[in-house]
Amino acid sequence: MKEFCLITGRTARQGIALHAGKTTESYEKDVAVIFLNEEDMQELGIEDGMSVLLRTDFGKVVVRAAKGNLPKGMAFMPYGPWANLLTSSNTHGVGMPDLKGLKLYISPTEEEIWDWKRVLEEVKKGEN
Amino acid sequence: MRIENVVCPFCGCLCDDIAVEIENGKIKSVAKACGIGRSLFMKHDEDLSFPSIGGRRVSLEDAIEKAVDILGRSKHALIYGLSSTSIEAHRKALELAELIGASIDQTSSICHGPTALAVHQTGIPTCTLGEIKNRADVLVFWGSNPLESHQRHYERYSLFPKGMFTPEGRKGRKLVVVDVRQTPSAKMADMFIKVNPGEDYEVLNALRYMLKGGELAASEIGGVRVEDLRKLLDVMLSAKYGVVFIGMGLTMTRGKYHNVEAAISLVVELNAHTRWSVVAMRGHYNVKGAASSLLWQTGYPFGINFSLGYPRYSPGEYTAVDLLRRKEVDCVLVIASDPVANFPRDAVKVMLELPLIAIDPKLSLTAVSADVVIPTAQVGIYVEGTAYRMDGVPLRVKKLLDSSYPSDEEVLGEILKRIKGA
Amino acid sequence: MSEALIIKNGLVYDPLNEVRGEKKEIYVRDGKIVEKVEEPGATVIDASGMIVAPANIEIHSHIAGPKLNAARLMRPEDHAKDPVRRKEKLRSGSGFSIPTTFTTAYRYLLLGYSTLMEPAVPPLKARHALDELEDMPVVDKGMYILMGNNNIIFHLIKRGDRKAAKYFAGWLLKASAGYAIKVVNPGGTDSWKWGKVFNSLSEETPWGIKPVEVVNLLNEVVEEFSLPHPVHLHTYNLGIPGSYKAALDTIEAFKDSKLHLTHLQYFCYGGDSWATFRSESLKVAEKLSNYGNITADMGQIIFEDTTTMTADTPWEYKLHKLSGNRWSSADVEMETGSGIVPYRYKMSNLVNAVQWAVGLELALLLGPWRMFMTTDNPNGGPFYFYPQVIRWLTSVDARNEIIKKLPSRARKRIHLHKMDREFSLEEMIIMLSAGPAKALGLKNKGHLGVGADADIVLYAKKDDVADTLSSVRYLLKEGKVVVRDGKIVEADSIGRIIRVDTGLDDSALSSEIMDLFDRFYSISFSNYKVENAYLKREEVISCGVSNR
Repeated sequence: MKEFCLITGRTARQGIALHAGKTTESYEKDVAVIFLNEEDMQELGIEDGMSVLLRTDFGKVVVRAAKGNLPKGMAFMPYGPWANLLTSSNTHGVGMPDLKGLKLYISPTEEEIWDWKRVLEEVKKGEN
Repeated sequence: MRIENVVCPFCGCLCDDIAVEIENGKIKSVAKACGIGRSLFMKHDEDLSFPSIGGRRVSLEDAIEKAVDILGRSKHALIYGLSSTSIEAHRKALELAELIGASIDQTSSICHGPTALAVHQTGIPTCTLGEIKNRADVLVFWGSNPLESHQRHYERYSLFPKGMFTPEGRKGRKLVVVDVRQTPSAKMADMFIKVNPGEDYEVLNALRYMLKGGELAASEIGGVRVEDLRKLLDVMLSAKYGVVFIGMGLTMTRGKYHNVEAAISLVVELNAHTRWSVVAMRGHYNVKGAASSLLWQTGYPFGINFSLGYPRYSPGEYTAVDLLRRKEVDCVLVIASDPVANFPRDAVKVMLELPLIAIDPKLSLTAVSADVVIPTAQVGIYVEGTAYRMDGVPLRVKKLLDSSYPSDEEVLGEILKRIKGA
Repeated sequence: MSEALIIKNGLVYDPLNEVRGEKKEIYVRDGKIVEKVEEPGATVIDASGMIVAPANIEIHSHIAGPKLNAARLMRPEDHAKDPVRRKEKLRSGSGFSIPTTFTTAYRYLLLGYSTLMEPAVPPLKARHALDELEDMPVVDKGMYILMGNNNIIFHLIKRGDRKAAKYFAGWLLKASAGYAIKVVNPGGTDSWKWGKVFNSLSEETPWGIKPVEVVNLLNEVVEEFSLPHPVHLHTYNLGIPGSYKAALDTIEAFKDSKLHLTHLQYFCYGGDSWATFRSESLKVAEKLSNYGNITADMGQIIFEDTTTMTADTPWEYKLHKLSGNRWSSADVEMETGSGIVPYRYKMSNLVNAVQWAVGLELALLLGPWRMFMTTDNPNGGPFYFYPQVIRWLTSVDARNEIIKKLPSRARKRIHLHKMDREFSLEEMIIMLSAGPAKALGLKNKGHLGVGADADIVLYAKKDDVADTLSSVRYLLKEGKVVVRDGKIVEADSIGRIIRVDTGLDDSALSSEIMDLFDRFYSISFSNYKVENAYLKREEVISCGVSNR
């Protein structure tokens, strides 16, 4: 399975959407998304708008795939609860967890994009 | 009614030239704000939180009393957030933390905390944003994407403005963007340097080495060709006044505070040749203020514990994510922040298993999940107060409308009063 | 609410009213000293065995504002040395060289101080200083506003419109809630924004003005607005061999004006290199003694690990290169800058040894009405080492104890070992309260006459002057007991911001100034002035001519 480097970060759309409310559809639309290099998407058999299953050592989540201006092998997700299903609280004694540069595996999936309720359920369950 | 020179309470730019039209107790239109600021003002009355216990709506009084009960009985509470409320509220939060022997942390710990850690080692030469407008002719955004995170930064503060010694504005400036991917901000750059993820430290130290006259044996460092590093260094040396802007690309990746130390050290060393400053791109409109109020009252910027009756500082120990990871707190009070949405999942899991109190104007994911929610009036819309811009310039944010909810300052003051009186 | 109080049986010193160790009663009502109190319910403090004096006044100490926080951020190790525990109603904090706000206030109270002057505030960030001062309970405070590198003033001088420049300065003092005008290395801090080290009063800076013109103009502002305190000046060439020439040059340039030269010790060095560093305090003191209109403060160094912080940005960069220590700095648009470098003064260091001697020499030469005790906290050392400085000023033996430990070569570079003056209790009280109050123009402080603020300190009378002055038994602030038996008993009250109202509002500003503001500042003009919310309690001194 191909390994990606995951970067999480701020997007303008995420910033705009969060004022509408984090339980709204527009927030989900702009935050439950992963941006990928076009060639990588082709190789994975993923189309723009499709659901993808994302997995790191710390968890998994289902979000929407979108074309982005990324180098091959790199993926970008906006900050938020979806991205954080993939991150760990290990701060290596610094206080700051690793929120960029994570090892990520991506595969297409039939599953629906998880909504915020599902995300919180998974958080409460623990390791998935 | 039109109100001019309104201060926007969203990001660290703290733009203070916003114009707002008010009609029938609502904001009707916003001028000059960026898309994110506009969204904040226009949706000021959407998705508001309400007082609740266990998800059930209760009176404000009951919610406060419940919070008082939880905090008053706590042995080690975590108070977290602060970056999206006023200095006046911070004072109360600090007094409360000290009173109940809590740990208090603010959002820098997952943002520019590593910058603070670097400053402990290296110091930091910096400047206010107006110096950039008036003097800066070389700008280097390193791991920062202002077009998405600080949307008016280029336009109002750094790249485009015409200032006292920069009458040509954009034309008189060289823009360098260093990042792992070509962001929208990078697309506007005169020079885009693509670095391998997690290798900024090597690149920065290579630059420092070259600045001291060293010759690099390798042909490429961190994914950057040495010739390009040489070009970058030459551009930096040609500046009359240069500024390096630091973003999460340095603080969140491998090396964390070491990356920032290297960046600051490079800038310190450049000052032997020409003038350079570093500006940390602070995310929230009052995160600089949160660090400031904590610093002047305790001596430390974040990650502070009061269990022994005096402030103790230990990043990695008293920082929120670590306290949660090690399950060392027995309740959590979140003020003006949304850690349920922004913390790593296993820290959130612990938070959700503890008594969780959210003081927030909106239904953040933290508020939605909290055991107790105390709704407050948003600072900058319904409440005036002090906020510190990313460069430390303090501004007074305005009250535009009335709210039936109390301010963060009032709620925390009430909680304090009741715990003291008990 | 009439809180009446009588202090009886104490030995009263009130130099401004020529009371010199008399047994007399002091009467207080409603926060002021009054002619007589006879009501039966009045509190009585039995001051037997005690000295009664006006509370002390800090004329120059960096305690609040952006550079304080920048220093605090840089030095967590400094705080960890000196944690301050919460105690009943007293808040916790950190001490050592950059104490936190509550700790700063408490430690000053315990030293008998009622009034503190923060000496270097950039007007753009005045709210920050006020925010920190708000968290210093009980004490009254004022701010000196930095103007010596203000680009709007430069612009107006260059254009030849001195009247507009003066209006602007007068307006700025009021708008930033300041008490006095501060000038630091005029033209120098601005020049260093170009990386140029500029060292002169009379030459033209890279910006294109002559610093002497800026200071002259500000001196006229003081005169024309009848400001209570003159320009508070940190001149050029601070800290380097040969700096005494800058002191002489400065005194000569402004000898006809009222002036205050701050931390003068740093400007009294001779020699032409670090190797030939020596004291030229005699030359400077001699020159200064001719001009009674000029006061000064020591800037005494203490042999400790401390933190230097000034608006003299080129000097701080130089100190960073010299010492190799961490360096923080901040250029503030249109106005000024700041630099911060930790520094340890060592007895074994010949330069430090000379510096130590110079501060004391100046004081002993000029006397307590002209020269006030400061350490330029924290530049020379933390303020709560004042009892140590008092000991050196009042005891030849105490000075010799130190001189013995200095490098023997130091004796050829200093004059202190040849001086046998020891300040008396009265002289010290002048230096700590009456003198600064007079120099500051604070009419209701520094004395115990009728109408004065009832800010009173009671010391336990000991045989030794220094022991007496470090034995604060009581401190009253506005007639309320805040320190009793050497302990703080009240720390909830809010002190006043003492500021000057020059009577100039925005309409005094020309459209040219508004245009400059708009083009060159990064905030909106309407958000610049300090709002009333930051002045919860204030004492406003009206100055200026109303029909300008």
